[in-house]
Amino acid sequence: MVARSSRDSWDEAAGVAAQAQAISDRAVKLAQTDEKAWADALAVLREAEAGSDGDARRDFRLEQKLERAAAVPLEIAALGADAATLATLVGERGDGTYRGDASAAAALAAGGARAAAHLVRVNLGMGAEDPRLARAHASEQAANDAAARMLEH
Amino acid sequence: MSRLAQLSDAELVRRCRTGESEAWNELVERYSRYVYAICTRGFRLSDEDAEDVFQDVFTRAFMRLETLRDDSAFRPWIAQLTRRRCLDAISGGGREQPLEEIAVEEGSSDLNEVEEAFAVREAVAGLSDACQDILDRFFAQDQSYRTISDELDIPAGTIASRIARCLRKLRDELEGRNEASEGSSG
Repeated sequence: MVARSSRDSWDEAAGVAAQAQAISDRAVKLAQTDEKAWADALAVLREAEAGSDGDARRDFRLEQKLERAAAVPLEIAALGADAATLATLVGERGDGTYRGDASAAAALAAGGARAAAHLVRVNLGMGAEDPRLARAHASEQAANDAAARMLEH
Repeated sequence: MSRLAQLSDAELVRRCRTGESEAWNELVERYSRYVYAICTRGFRLSDEDAEDVFQDVFTRAFMRLETLRDDSAFRPWIAQLTRRRCLDAISGGGREQPLEEIAVEEGSSDLNEVEEAFAVREAVAGLSDACQDILDRFFAQDQSYRTISDELDIPAGTIASRIARCLRKLRDELEGRNEASEGSSG
């Protein structure tokens, strides 16, 4: 909205608005995928709780489902970083009238990235050395930095 | 990109008429997705029917290339051929369809989308390799700014602006094409 409103004063506004729309579309799809991935993982988790120990195939399936349940929020965290970065660009170069809206968008995006990174940590469980944790943290950090830049002005 | 890929439709058609088979292969390559999209998205043909129409359209196009009056009009010509063959497939095939439904589909938004997507694809091909690459990564491969930054070794903070500039060039390219086609049809 802020980028679209800046078309008269900023020649990159239309291209930035198109990117914002693409990020928004992606977020909706990922949220739906995330819900399904977690539901799938939960179903196998419950099956595991109810069943006997030592079922290797079930444990493998559970591991796969949890991996998937971590992969989707990892993408969402990266998307949150992109949204916050884009909001910062709009806030800094777009129409100043809407700077507050851009700041709010950056803060929301950072919140989304933080929540998603938390889900990655929860779903990956013990694997502290897993590189995906570092990636989730980097996305969270990038989103936070972008939002902080907007909110401190 | 091959040498032939840079030639206009009209030049390729002219070369086809002289028997240059590579020119025909390039036209097939250039329009195969387009024809297939009209079949599947515009007319909702099954994959099997779409395959049949696809084969038939290109066979007919090759056989009748001499009847094409304007060499630069290959695209609307093959689109028309495809639409006719799709209608034949619908009326003569396993799926019965009322005439009024066919009439609606001929001008359907799906068909318009196919046309629009093809026009965008052509315009993208007119951009620099760097622009094509970054637009493909962001819009087609859904890559994040961070991934693009890492893979292309450019600062993450500049990616969004680069994409925006490439989109502006794309818009200029599309507008230029529209003006050219309006000029040639008027």
